Amino acid sequence: MMNYFPDEVIEHIFDYVVSHSDRNALSLVCKSWYRIERCTRQRVFIGNCYSITPERLIQRFPGLKSLTLKGKPHFADFSLVPYDWGGFVHPWIEALAKNKVGLEELRLKRMVVSDESLELLSRSFTHFKSLVLVSCEGFSTDGLAALAANCRFLRELDLQENEVEDHKGQWLSCFPDNCTSLVSLNFACLKGEVSLGALERLVARSPYLKSLKLNRSVPFDALQRIMMRAPQLSDLGIGSFVHDPESEAYIKLKNTILKRKSITSLSGFLEVAPHCLAAIYPICPNLTSLNLSYAAGIQGSDLIKLIRHCVKLQRLLIMDCIGDKGLDVVATSCKDLQELRVFPSVPFGNPAAVTEKGLVAISMGCPKLHSLLYFCHQMTNAALITVAKNCPNFIRFRLCILDATKPDPDTMQPLDEGFGAIVQSCRRLRRLSLSGQLTDQVFLYIGMYAEKLEMLSIAFAGESDKGMLYVLNGCKKLRKLEIRDCPFGNVALLTDVGKYETMRSLWMSSCEVTVGACKLLAKKMPRLNVEIFNENEQEDCSLEDGQKVEKMYLYRTLAGKRKDAPEYVWTL
Amino acid sequence: MAKEGLGLEITELRLGLPDAEHQVSVVNKKNEKKRAFSEIDDGVGDENSSSGGGDRKMETNKSQVVGWPPVCSYRKKNSMNEGASKMYVKVSMDGAPFLRKIDLGLHKGYSDLALALDKLFGCYGMVEALKNADNSEHVPIYEDKDGDWMLVGDVPWEMFMESCKRLRIMKKSDAKGFGLQPKGSLKGFIESAAK
Repeated sequence: MMNYFPDEVIEHIFDYVVSHSDRNALSLVCKSWYRIERCTRQRVFIGNCYSITPERLIQRFPGLKSLTLKGKPHFADFSLVPYDWGGFVHPWIEALAKNKVGLEELRLKRMVVSDESLELLSRSFTHFKSLVLVSCEGFSTDGLAALAANCRFLRELDLQENEVEDHKGQWLSCFPDNCTSLVSLNFACLKGEVSLGALERLVARSPYLKSLKLNRSVPFDALQRIMMRAPQLSDLGIGSFVHDPESEAYIKLKNTILKRKSITSLSGFLEVAPHCLAAIYPICPNLTSLNLSYAAGIQGSDLIKLIRHCVKLQRLLIMDCIGDKGLDVVATSCKDLQELRVFPSVPFGNPAAVTEKGLVAISMGCPKLHSLLYFCHQMTNAALITVAKNCPNFIRFRLCILDATKPDPDTMQPLDEGFGAIVQSCRRLRRLSLSGQLTDQVFLYIGMYAEKLEMLSIAFAGESDKGMLYVLNGCKKLRKLEIRDCPFGNVALLTDVGKYETMRSLWMSSCEVTVGACKLLAKKMPRLNVEIFNENEQEDCSLEDGQKVEKMYLYRTLAGKRKDAPEYVWTL
Repeated sequence: MAKEGLGLEITELRLGLPDAEHQVSVVNKKNEKKRAFSEIDDGVGDENSSSGGGDRKMETNKSQVVGWPPVCSYRKKNSMNEGASKMYVKVSMDGAPFLRKIDLGLHKGYSDLALALDKLFGCYGMVEALKNADNSEHVPIYEDKDGDWMLVGDVPWEMFMESCKRLRIMKKSDAKGFGLQPKGSLKGFIESAAK
């Protein structure tokens, strides 16, 4: 029926389809739809920058305007991937510039971005509007200065958790005086001083500014002046919140806050004096998002006082010093909560921190919860079963027990039944992270019930190859599998090699796979890049087949072997 | 140099263990491959017996496994150190008329600690102790969570940081015969020696 419509009508209909996976499905229907989809696609997501070449991308989607790219494996966040592994954005920007693509938006995660890349980016795309950098490295404030100076239509500059070299330059001063287009500015991760005068002037001339996240160098009185000049702000990240409650600046800020009803998202407090927190209580009833996971200066009791006021919260990120008692308050106060992340406040866990009791309370009080990241000291099967019953809508469930192989402390049994209940009850689960003592039984449950699972993280779990085989065989929609310190070996790796072409990537470290098995896999599957990391510099000879592989990363690719791999990365 | 300053032969061997903080350091990426197992950690033994696991389980000593817990490097650098900076412990030195307090969370390892102790008590002989280990008249010890007095340096830094309740810089003459006493009676021994 659709084929009777002229192309213009189909194009118009396609414009309403925005999801990446839906667009992908459209392009598979027939040649005509493939062609129309190709010409009208503006937004592209590439989950692994080595899966395709920039040239191929540009050829396929000539109308590209917005690109999202990911680089290093996820485990780079936890120091398991060497610093110089790869993930360079420069070749992409070069290719996009050379082919005169009308790029307007670029989102990067875990990529290496140089000042040269940012300079080229800032000069090559006339209508560039938006840059989002998450967990990237390699650039400095010099690159930011180029962006500020050259991107005349910049709306969004969002820097999240990047390692940025701060050259104490005046990068904020590089925004031209006629720049009024900013909607979102986030420099919370910068370490150095910024020009407060330039910042205040920039804020004052940006009538559309909705989101502003400051770093710790922006002091209390500057914050007050900024809030006065930007009454339209809805998302505020506070850098420093330290001042004398008797001072004039504090009283001014308090009065400014009393008039400010527009803020719905609050974050930061990178430096904070607890006695100043009362000033923001008037904002709390309107908040839907609160991120205090970097607010190390706020202790449990102060956290509780604050959260008691936040009755509309949908998203909460906090540290574990809130304790189970604090989670009880969250459960009774935040009935609309959808996403919760609880991070450890000290490297190996605060003994007074959260346990299974806090999680059970949350599951009872917050039935809309569908996304969880929870670091805790212990967990029980009974608690997990209760949580699964109370919150069947989980799509993301990430549990990290700080002692990686801890059993259920009540029964001393593995946590198989608890996680089994989660996957059995939460049928929409897309992301799962396991921890604690686990046998192959948990993987049988995952293979049986986790039909929509896309990403699975496994650590210190399982007993034999069967565990991994249950997952590979059962999880039809699996995209990313991350395994560390598990006894999975060659049989698990080689039994269903075709599976890896349906996945984005597989990471295995400190497991039982050998070099020979990896070679065999690479030979069988030419469209997979199988990388082995040989970081032991003493071994300059070739790898022997029987040798165990310390780290292996494989991913499907249309681009073949990459040319920028460092010496210790062997692509088989 | 700092190692000699602690004046402990046993300590020098232990200081070779990688500190947990180095695991996120680019400069020390070689350390990522070191995963020593500590016999001292009794907890690991318990887990081993209950799980029936083999060698792999024994590698889960929490202060030494690279990348565990899975907290991203950025967060470790920017947030957790401050959270850890509430680890004040009292420090006393024999012969000094007052106690001091030191924040263990601000130090990366034992050498940092030695330098800090020097700053605190330099005028009471710590300088000599640091410069001339063999002739040092002082021995640093600490009281752990169990109430036992332990030699500083015997366990990995992270473990020390977790269990240290207070520090004492004891005159070596008072600690004569120290190493010969079984663990359980150290506290009583020191108390009697101090009287």
